[in-house]
Amino acid sequence: MTHKTIKATVNGEVYERTIPVCMTLAEFLREELGLTGTKIGCNEGECGACTVIISGKPMNSCLVLAVEADGAEVLTIEGVSQGEKLHPLQQAFLDAGAIQCGFCTPGMVLTAKALIEENPNPTEAEVRKGIEGNICRCTGYNRIIDAIMNEAERVRGDK
Amino acid sequence: MLPAFELLTPTTIAEACKMKLETKGKLLAGGTDILVGMHGGKERYETLIDLKGIEELKGFDTKDGLDFGALTPHREFEQSALIKERYTALYEGCSQVGSSQIRIRGTVGGNICNAAPSADSIGPLLVFGATCVIAGADGRREVPLSEFFTGPKKTVLGESELLERVLVPSPVNGSGSAYTKYTRRRAMDLALLGVSCYVVLDAKGKIEVARIALTTAAPTPIRATNAEEFLVGKTLDDAVLGEISELVAKQAKPRSSWRSSAEFRIELVKELTVRTLRLAEERAKGEA
Ligand SMILES: Cc1cc2nc3c(=O)[nH]c(=O)nc-3n(C[C@H](O)[C@H](O)[C@H](O)COP(=O)(O)OP(=O)(O)OC[C@H]3O[C@@H](n4cnc5c(N)ncnc54)[C@H](O)[C@@H]3O)c2cc1C
Ligand code: FES
Ligand code: FES
Repeated sequence: MTHKTIKATVNGEVYERTIPVCMTLAEFLREELGLTGTKIGCNEGECGACTVIISGKPMNSCLVLAVEADGAEVLTIEGVSQGEKLHPLQQAFLDAGAIQCGFCTPGMVLTAKALIEENPNPTEAEVRKGIEGNICRCTGYNRIIDAIMNEAERVRGDK
Repeated sequence: MLPAFELLTPTTIAEACKMKLETKGKLLAGGTDILVGMHGGKERYETLIDLKGIEELKGFDTKDGLDFGALTPHREFEQSALIKERYTALYEGCSQVGSSQIRIRGTVGGNICNAAPSADSIGPLLVFGATCVIAGADGRREVPLSEFFTGPKKTVLGESELLERVLVPSPVNGSGSAYTKYTRRRAMDLALLGVSCYVVLDAKGKIEVARIALTTAAPTPIRATNAEEFLVGKTLDDAVLGEISELVAKQAKPRSSWRSSAEFRIELVKELTVRTLRLAEERAKGEA
């Protein structure tokens, strides 16, 4: 096959589309669905800007075929906030000053979200290792790490 | 968009082998090597055969040694307490591949079949004495991992064949293993050199079995058999380790690349083999 009709659940909404099999999930999200919060930096798996959560797992959407989203649940940055109301993790990024140009932020937030869900009590070293696939050219990472540690603390109910 | 291709989605091994033979298509697992190559049109394939719909290729079992399907992602070994404890070098290899996103997608089978000299899972699997179970249109065959690679990015896989499973014997009591990955930066970098060691000590602490594998030290991953033989019956004192570093340096055939010169790689081979052997020995004694 060269085209396929898929039914994907993105941010809780079901989309049915006929697409070429050579389309990546990142392209599908941005160009077919207009969800441009997912960024494409390198198209090589190096930068993590395209990270989305597929059936609970963070993946580089530039290295996933869009047809693989058939029957899957995809969470993009647009689905993290509730409309204008930011998710506490996003608020933690703002509060810590973890955002400058913002290009890495959607991927960083999704990676962090999956990390905290898997391990709500991470050490700083675990957070650093957890975001090794997300490059930030602006912040120097420290404030991003602070934001993630703060949010994990909140999730645990320590704060 | 990736360069156009036709996608096939088999659900059984037999179907995949037939498709591979008939279409000469490229097998697709996690795609972390293939799709990177296709972006920008560097590599093109008429047909991709996605293996991910084949249940038989998934999951691992540790009842009698380790028996894992080719589609097992690195992440599963990274998160298995049993792999970390018993197959420590393999844990150390798989948990250092790329990033969490890459380890969730990238499979150990893909790492092996991609046959890069730097692949992080291959050295550890070599020292554990792994065997590849290969499936093809004419049936199955088993090939030791040490005979699987025929050149850089080349394997023994025939026209209809795919890697089905990998069998790894159980490490014996009194054994220890370690993998050292040398990189220029701590995250997301390919190994400039990789050293894997597995040692078994006898009751007196002498070496009964030693296995050493080097990655990025030759066109394919290799075993340092000269050094392995020399080690039998010895204890790891300074004189023995001095000999070892010379022996491994003789078997390594590194090349110069933009990552490092061949001369530097040779120095790394010497030093890191000594350190990795010591660590494996400590673990065998239960000290590390
Ligand atoms: C950003 C980034 C960082 C990386 N870092 C590392 C690293 O640190 N260390 C490392 O070792 N690798 C690294 N890699 C390479 C890659 O992630 C690994 O080699 C991975 O294990 C490949 O598995 P895959 O399932 O994605 O393979 P694929 O890309 O799907 O396939 C790779 C090759 O194997 C063949 N193949 C796959 N499965 C089978 C099978 N069952 N039978 C026969 N042939 C098969 C394919 O045809 C192809 O030739 C990195 C890649 C990226 C993009
Ligand atoms: S765009 Fe996908 S990792 Fe960079
Ligand atoms: S804020 Fe600019 S890349 Fe991270």
